[in-house]
Amino acid sequence: MTRTSLYFLLLSIILLLAQGIVFSHVCLFGVAVPFVFIFVPITLPLTLNRNWVITIGFIMGMIVDIFCDTPGVNALAATLMSASRSSILRLYFPHEQDLTDPCPSIKSLGLSVFLRYLVTITLLYSMIAMIADSLTFFNILHIVSGIAGSTILSSALLLALDYLTSTQRREKRL
Amino acid sequence: MRNLIRFFIRYSTWILTIIYVVASCCLLFSRNPYQHHLFLTSAGVLGRTVYGAANSVTSYFYLRDINADLQTRNADLELEILKLKHIIKQYENKEYADSVPVDTALQRYNFVLANVINNSINRSHNYITIDKGSLDGLAPEMGVVDQNGVVGIVNVVGPHASRVMSVLNPYLRNSCKIKGQELVGSLVWDGESPLEAVLEELPQHAEFNLGDTVVTSGLSTVFPEGVPVGIVVDAIAEENFRTLRVRLFTDFSTLSTVRIVVDYLSDEIKAVEDDDRQTGSGNKK
Repeated sequence: MTRTSLYFLLLSIILLLAQGIVFSHVCLFGVAVPFVFIFVPITLPLTLNRNWVITIGFIMGMIVDIFCDTPGVNALAATLMSASRSSILRLYFPHEQDLTDPCPSIKSLGLSVFLRYLVTITLLYSMIAMIADSLTFFNILHIVSGIAGSTILSSALLLALDYLTSTQRREKRL
Repeated sequence: MRNLIRFFIRYSTWILTIIYVVASCCLLFSRNPYQHHLFLTSAGVLGRTVYGAANSVTSYFYLRDINADLQTRNADLELEILKLKHIIKQYENKEYADSVPVDTALQRYNFVLANVINNSINRSHNYITIDKGSLDGLAPEMGVVDQNGVVGIVNVVGPHASRVMSVLNPYLRNSCKIKGQELVGSLVWDGESPLEAVLEELPQHAEFNLGDTVVTSGLSTVFPEGVPVGIVVDAIAEENFRTLRVRLFTDFSTLSTVRIVVDYLSDEIKAVEDDDRQTGSGNKK
């Protein structure tokens, strides 16, 4: 098992535990739920086969669903998010071969591109998860505010997480 | 086979995504009570819409059978209506018969009620067909009356129906008299009007006034005495007899229910009269 694989495995375990135990029970202002576990499918190396990315996304979503007792909601959102990851990244960074690091991060993409990529993918995830959870547009204002709140909160946390992991990796290299 | 494998490899990402999405949706709709309820409700609405559309198309294919079924049912109901009408008619006839007062002097007579099923008034020789026949006790030469007066005489009898020679038939000659007098004449139809007939062969000394009632004389076994016929409206003077124009009480154009006069003494009287004729001819010899 390579070092990168081990790193992502450890990161997945930590983030799944954090999501299941802490973040899934947070509901800021009654609308915003932070989704931190999606950091793994977002930052998986672009060289990794798409089928693996989708499978990892699905499995992680399933595990979160088991923790949160919301069968299918996170699995569906994570699968679709993982499947569209490459397409979204291509929107903002058309030349994948120019990347110095295969893992999408601030360092490899730059803050602007990574932020746009992160916000778009988080928005997609939040939207699918919120709609699958409510399944009705009866209280559309609540859904919209939930999507917006979750996107902003998750994006902020994921940015912080990216900064944290980048710093740690840099320190290890030093 | 190789192409199939190539196809699966080429589109493996899509296939995998679809499999995971379907699995997620199955979990979502089967394990979450709220989503499950929503799914069932929406599926019910969708199912009803689809089945409704399919039913509106396929229902046309069954119209032929439905039509045949309705025709049969319609025929049954029509038959039922006819039966019920027949029963109602019988009760009406019974009620009608009970409502008509019968003179005690007419104890020798009985009435059989019948419905007119065919009638003519505009021919030179008019006949009426009724729905009673020999099985109901009818025989030729029985008188026929209605609630207003004389109608005619039974002419031909079948098992279930009979033909009546109407008063509006020149062949019919009926013995009549002016009410309150004993002078008898013959009532015959002259073919001029279905509302009028003439009373012929009345003796010259017969007294009458216009408006006098003409009734049957009772000198035959056909009609009892005193059955109303009409009223005198005109007098035609002749050499030896008087002829009176009589407006008939019976409205032949609206004839519906009639009574056939059954005379229990008819056979006896005929037998006596025949015997008397034979005896008379025997004496001559």
